[in-house]
Amino acid sequence: MATIINPQAKPRPPATPIDLLNNDTARLYTHIHPMLVLSLYAYKFRSIVEDPVPALTSTLIPLSILQIVYVAICLPPTGGSGSAAAQLEKRKPGEKKKPAPGKLESGVNGKIIPAFLSLVLSVLAATPLLTATLVLFGAPVTTHHPHTFLCAAHISLLATLPLVYVHGVDGETWREIVALLLPIDEVYGGMIGTVFGAWLGAVPIPLDWDREWQKWPVTIVTGAYIGYAVGKLVGGTLLKGRKIMFE
Amino acid sequence: MDNGEPLPSYEGIAAAFAKAKAEKEKQEAQGLKPTTGDAAKANKQEEVHFKAAHGILVAFFTWIFILHALGIYLFTSGFLLTRLVLEQKSHCSVPPIDTTRSYTSGSPETGCWHPKSFEKAIVIIVDALRYDFTIPFPAEGSEKPHHFHNAVPVFYETAVNQPHNAFLLPFIADPPTTTLQRLKGLTTGTLPTFVDAGSNFAGTAIDEDNLIAQLRNASKRIVHLGDDTWHALFPGYFEPNLTRAYDSFNVWDLHTVDNGVTDHMFPLMHSSNTSKWDVIFGHYLGVDHAGHRYGPDHPAMTAKLNQMDEIFRRMIDQLDGTTLLVVMGDHGMDAKGDHGGESDDEIQAALWMYSKQKLFGRSSPAYVTPPATAKERPVAQIDLVPTLSLLLGMPIPFNNLGKPIEEAFIGAKGEDYENLAIVNRLTTAQIHRYQHEYALARGIDESTRAGSLSLWSAANDAWSSLERKKKPSRDQFRDVYSAFSAYQQETLSICRALWARFDIPRMLNGVTILVLTLIILAVYARGLEGDRSELTPALLGRGGFGTVLGCAIGFGATFALPDVPKEHVFIYAAAIGGTVGIASAFWYIRRRLASPLPNSIWGWVSVVFTLALSAGFAANSFTIWEDEILLHFLCTFGALTAISSFRQKKTSDRALGCYHSILFIVLTRVASFSRLCREEQMPYCKSTYYASATSSTSAPWQLAIPYVVALLLPIFIRGYYEGTMSYQGSAILWLGFALRFGLLLGAAYWTLDAADDGDWYPGYGEMLKTTKIVIAQIALAIALAFGYSTFNWAKPLLNIETKSTANGDTSGQIVADGGRTSITILGYANVHGSRYALLITMWCLAIALVEKPMGAGAIGIATWQVFSLLEIIDTNKLSNSSIGPVVLGLLGSYHFFKTGHQATLSSIQWETAFIPLRTIRYPWSPLLVILNTFGAQILCAVAVPALVLWKQPPKKKGLLGDVAKAVGTHILFYAVINLATTMWAGHLRRHLMLYRIFSPRFMTGALVLLVVDVFCIFVAIGGTRMSFLSVAEVFGWTS
Repeated sequence: MATIINPQAKPRPPATPIDLLNNDTARLYTHIHPMLVLSLYAYKFRSIVEDPVPALTSTLIPLSILQIVYVAICLPPTGGSGSAAAQLEKRKPGEKKKPAPGKLESGVNGKIIPAFLSLVLSVLAATPLLTATLVLFGAPVTTHHPHTFLCAAHISLLATLPLVYVHGVDGETWREIVALLLPIDEVYGGMIGTVFGAWLGAVPIPLDWDREWQKWPVTIVTGAYIGYAVGKLVGGTLLKGRKIMFE
Repeated sequence: MDNGEPLPSYEGIAAAFAKAKAEKEKQEAQGLKPTTGDAAKANKQEEVHFKAAHGILVAFFTWIFILHALGIYLFTSGFLLTRLVLEQKSHCSVPPIDTTRSYTSGSPETGCWHPKSFEKAIVIIVDALRYDFTIPFPAEGSEKPHHFHNAVPVFYETAVNQPHNAFLLPFIADPPTTTLQRLKGLTTGTLPTFVDAGSNFAGTAIDEDNLIAQLRNASKRIVHLGDDTWHALFPGYFEPNLTRAYDSFNVWDLHTVDNGVTDHMFPLMHSSNTSKWDVIFGHYLGVDHAGHRYGPDHPAMTAKLNQMDEIFRRMIDQLDGTTLLVVMGDHGMDAKGDHGGESDDEIQAALWMYSKQKLFGRSSPAYVTPPATAKERPVAQIDLVPTLSLLLGMPIPFNNLGKPIEEAFIGAKGEDYENLAIVNRLTTAQIHRYQHEYALARGIDESTRAGSLSLWSAANDAWSSLERKKKPSRDQFRDVYSAFSAYQQETLSICRALWARFDIPRMLNGVTILVLTLIILAVYARGLEGDRSELTPALLGRGGFGTVLGCAIGFGATFALPDVPKEHVFIYAAAIGGTVGIASAFWYIRRRLASPLPNSIWGWVSVVFTLALSAGFAANSFTIWEDEILLHFLCTFGALTAISSFRQKKTSDRALGCYHSILFIVLTRVASFSRLCREEQMPYCKSTYYASATSSTSAPWQLAIPYVVALLLPIFIRGYYEGTMSYQGSAILWLGFALRFGLLLGAAYWTLDAADDGDWYPGYGEMLKTTKIVIAQIALAIALAFGYSTFNWAKPLLNIETKSTANGDTSGQIVADGGRTSITILGYANVHGSRYALLITMWCLAIALVEKPMGAGAIGIATWQVFSLLEIIDTNKLSNSSIGPVVLGLLGSYHFFKTGHQATLSSIQWETAFIPLRTIRYPWSPLLVILNTFGAQILCAVAVPALVLWKQPPKKKGLLGDVAKAVGTHILFYAVINLATTMWAGHLRRHLMLYRIFSPRFMTGALVLLVVDVFCIFVAIGGTRMSFLSVAEVFGWTS
């Protein structure tokens, strides 16, 4: 990574929105992916309403697979495409070009492994943080722990897995992510959409409609899924490159 | 925070200081006196200017307050139900319909309209005797009986064992379930209207026809013992030498009233004294007070009910044959022992009648056992009026809508349907006569009640066909009885709907005034550029002139519109005139107008929070769960400021902002554990405010909370002061000593109160009572008397450190020419903020005392959050934004719930009136209840100016205008909420949940707005004056 190569790196270059990988598969699959995610959720919805804990647990695995496939097919891994050109320039004159690794090998090394790492990171780091946030926002403290935890796991798979894949674990980048300073792209839009959707998902809980689906945490997870799809679509198209202004 | 910046004005001022010091040093050396003529004069002028600008600001906000009050008054007087009170009285000699069976009416000796059954009566109200107290707890199931179960079995036993002597029935009250309202219903037989609910503190005499007046007209001697509310309602009706009245509002006293009633009752029942009276009305208050003080599920309740049981057994023993004994509850109590609303527990009282004659019967043998729940075979409380009237041979009061109770007239065999038909015919005829007169008085066409009129003629036809028969059968009498009954039922339901009469024009005009005021306030708070204190004189002048003009026009218009009530026209014209005046003022200053729409994410967040909350009040679920919604919003605010803090450039701002944002969220969540659930939140909510869901005393561990607050809160606040070296001078005395001492006294008060409540030291009750009252008075004196004198006279919290320049390090120090020393002004960075914020802590102390122990914890957290908010606003540079005042509004509303309140009548903690007083004293008692109820909102309102003063340089221009802007925004928040709840209550006026949910929320919103208005004007803006004067004494005035 650039920061490691040059620790006292001068003012950071302004962050640019993440572009999709430059191939037709990526351009096509990025639109199929949210449909698959929403279909998965719609397919599981009935059983989630019936008994949230086992259903949400079992949905985690297909969701992780979908997310890994998506990032591997569509997105540039961290330190990948963006800095590839820079690395090319930095090569010392006369240095031998390394033999290009095989396609499969490079696919696994460059994509599948980072994707798995992203999965591990979002489950290990983001989920507990999100669980705590949910509790602070009013999730039950003494009961429903598995529910809240699974809800946080779903949000973190949707929101943070692609982010970790494209941005890595650089502290300053993550400060910018949390501070909403990055320009919007489909990954960032997906994250903001997921969180905002989950936030809105709390609205129907107090209503006295006596519906089964009003129970914790169904509405939150539903909001997160819908928010993810909408945020990803809008972030990748309409709002791409825009920045969030607070003032 | 201007740490790293070059301190533009700081340098000037501090240099001046240093120079002055050097000068002084020089003068001291030479023995000269300082002479500063012109500067002092200019400064004096600026001071006068400030005082004038400040006075105008106070006047302007007072004008806004008056507009709010007028709008609320107009809406309320049209919204809260109105019923025309008819003056007519029933007369013994004028039965409503021809009497039957050759009965000659007109003599009270034999019975006015119907032969009487009893010579005398003892009517006893056991305040808050809920129906389920009187019936045995069902043995099946795993549920354990509560303290209130099986404690007063006498009613049930007599009803089952001697069914011809006694019966016990559920007795359903018409809400509002306050004693005064219930007494009106129990004596007049009419439905209550909501307007009277507020008059519980000052009852007024009943001028409608009623049972007591009828008894007095018939020269009966009436004795009253107990609750003095009766004397407010029936002044001069009772035998003065036998009657004993007792103060009813001292809810902490369980025994004085009851013992008084008992002590005077039994001598009167003695055979030597029975000739001295005809009817006794007794009113026991102990059960109600035990409920208010401890909640129903408490050993004190068991003891009280056992005492009642024993009293009534004695009464049965001593009763003579010609006397009727009636015992009833005037209302029930909710799970915490409070009442006022219309939940099932509050309206389900018990009625028991007993006589030595075997008079009572049941229409079915199965009915001998009293109903297992109050849902079966209930009688309405208004039914008592015709029943007692006929049993005692009195005419039925003119306005009565109730019907005779079946059990009392059906005869011991349970088949005297003839008698039942006759008494129902009489009662119904009186209702018919009343309805006819009412329609005439109101100018209502008879055709509007065609349905009930056809029922009336059908019943009459059935009766006349029966009269023509020789020997009508039992079933035929029963049919006639049900025909008359049907008319009574129909009329009653029509009246219930009819008296939900709303005066729509008044409501609309009230809402119009509120909308216009809201627009004025919105433009003033968010739509003006520059210093508001410069613009306010023009606004106030034109607005005031418009109001006066409007008053004049309104006065003229009252002659043009004779049909509309005068005060309605007058108020409306004045408000519209004021609005026109202010509109012209806005036109006059149009160059300073800007769009009041938000232009940053913070503005939008403020708008979204306010509007989302307001829109939510249209749904009963969102109104019920308002506390959770506020939690969600406050956490969202914390999350947003955490994000915003990450965006800050300076690391110190980032770290501080983040820390305080997270602290703010965590504190919000911690406070959320203090809950008092309203009935509608069940079963998803668990009350923690008191020891248990069915009590209103604190658990022992909760008594520790005020001590923790007393120990920690001053330390935390001190931390906020030390950040800018402002922990100086008076702050040390106040925060370090007085505040902590006051909080400790508050904690001690609640411990003593618990000791007194729980009777931990038997025999020392009186001493505990005196001590705790004195302690409360001292704590209040520290908060307000000592606090305010400190606040008024304290110097700014500064300390000037003088160092010799020899050490060479001059960074952050100012050295003047000719001075041998350098000085550092400690506390300079937050002169205004630290000085003003003392006021917050003073009110924190006063409010923490009047809240229950759990509430003191919530108030402590609220104060801590306020200081965190000040830091958040400062590090994110939001002092100019609307978000600060709006979040204070959310915070105040949130802690309203965390201090054990809900938007319901029954959650008002009336007993706080007695914290520093023994008896009701005006105006202090209502003020204490207000301080308790709206304490959180008051605390946050007082904190509003601190938002714009915190860490502002003393010479900054336009600070007074900033305060006006922030206060305007804060009031704007509550004004929007008030307008929304008002409009929803008006719009949903036919909604099933109107009285349960929307109407109480509207009343809360209106009261909060008015209270916040007053506190913003006189405490917040008033406090700004003291604080500014004190700062200017040191730094001079900025022009």
